[in-house]
Amino acid sequence: MSPEMHINRFSRYLPRLGLASLLLCIGSGIILSFQYRPLGNVFRNVEEITTLVPFGRFFRQLHYGSGQLFVLLMLLHTLEHFLKRRYRSFSGLQWTWLILSLGLCFFALFTGYVLKGDKEGLFAGNIFMNIIKTIPFVGDPVSRFFIVPGKDLLFLPYLYHILFLPVLIVFFLKDHIREWFPDRRFLFAATAGLFLFALFIPPRLDIPPNAPVPLVEGPWFFLGIQTLLKLIPPLWAGVGVPGLFAAGLLLLPFAGERLGRWIHLLLVTCFCFYALLTIRAFLFGP
Amino acid sequence: MERRTFLKRFLETILFISSALLFSYPVFAFLSFRKISRRQVVFKKGEGAEGIEFKDGVFLVPVDGKLLALSARCTHLGCTVNYDQVAQQFRCPCHGSRFDRSGRRIAGPARKPLRELPIKKKSNGDVEVTITF
Repeated sequence: MSPEMHINRFSRYLPRLGLASLLLCIGSGIILSFQYRPLGNVFRNVEEITTLVPFGRFFRQLHYGSGQLFVLLMLLHTLEHFLKRRYRSFSGLQWTWLILSLGLCFFALFTGYVLKGDKEGLFAGNIFMNIIKTIPFVGDPVSRFFIVPGKDLLFLPYLYHILFLPVLIVFFLKDHIREWFPDRRFLFAATAGLFLFALFIPPRLDIPPNAPVPLVEGPWFFLGIQTLLKLIPPLWAGVGVPGLFAAGLLLLPFAGERLGRWIHLLLVTCFCFYALLTIRAFLFGP
Repeated sequence: MERRTFLKRFLETILFISSALLFSYPVFAFLSFRKISRRQVVFKKGEGAEGIEFKDGVFLVPVDGKLLALSARCTHLGCTVNYDQVAQQFRCPCHGSRFDRSGRRIAGPARKPLRELPIKKKSNGDVEVTITF
């Protein structure tokens, strides 16, 4: 097999496996929604789903695994197109929708993390809210579009997670995906892999909201930002740096040959730096 | 483009933008409205006399014979701080800010001290602390 063929096969497999994971994620999400309640004692509710409800642990892990796999594959898929500079063949608007939908995918993962209702989830929700609040002038009211403090903290993230985000992601991707039902082989592979994962890998232990623990970690994709938050003001770590990165990515198809090359190089450097921060946080804590 | 067509387009655009703005303000105001909430945390008589007590997001701290109520919300990004008995400090588990017993910032990314909350002594000796958020 020539290396070229291998690359082509890789390009073809990533999104198809991703689509199969998305279908499994939506399916398991619908099942979970019959037992999950975003108000009241959410931690207890999630623990009951995991330990008391028949097959609860399986569906929870299936939803977690398929969601993570879907977003990870979307990230790799985007990364591959980015590195091969395929954004040149997209119209600016198409590229914008796709990058936006990748952002929404990560937001869906994040809201899922918050909805666990354990200490990590609740803290992540609060941190997210307080970071938005640091935006000058509009931060405070805008934060209330996403999350409000108090006993209904999880309600808006829930609404985003189960309604707004899936609808928007599907809407943005609809012209990009040619066939909505993936090839049976991919669906079979994803189902088999994720079922095995859900059957044999237990969920991470959830930390009760009132337990005093010395260190709380964010979700894997925010570990780098968590490290940055220790070093630089929240407006820069949480809004400025990710915002500039996203702006660079969105500008790519509009930039000319020379400027485009510079932005490309800058984005690769930033990505590598962020990946290093994440690996460091994995090994030594954020 | 003829002058008349240009004027027509111009007016149409202005009309479109102003009606969009006119509509977006009520939406913005509706989405971002929030009532200010208050809740009370009551410490029983004698609580906090021996050492630091924690209840429902509030630390009751005895400082120089007086009681001080501190919000447990870290002033950096809102995580709940823990009290480290050995170091006699408050520590934030999220980004590592540290505060002394009376809530003053010692180290870390937080810039402000822990928020002091109003205390009301009730006739039966209980202490009522009010949190607004």
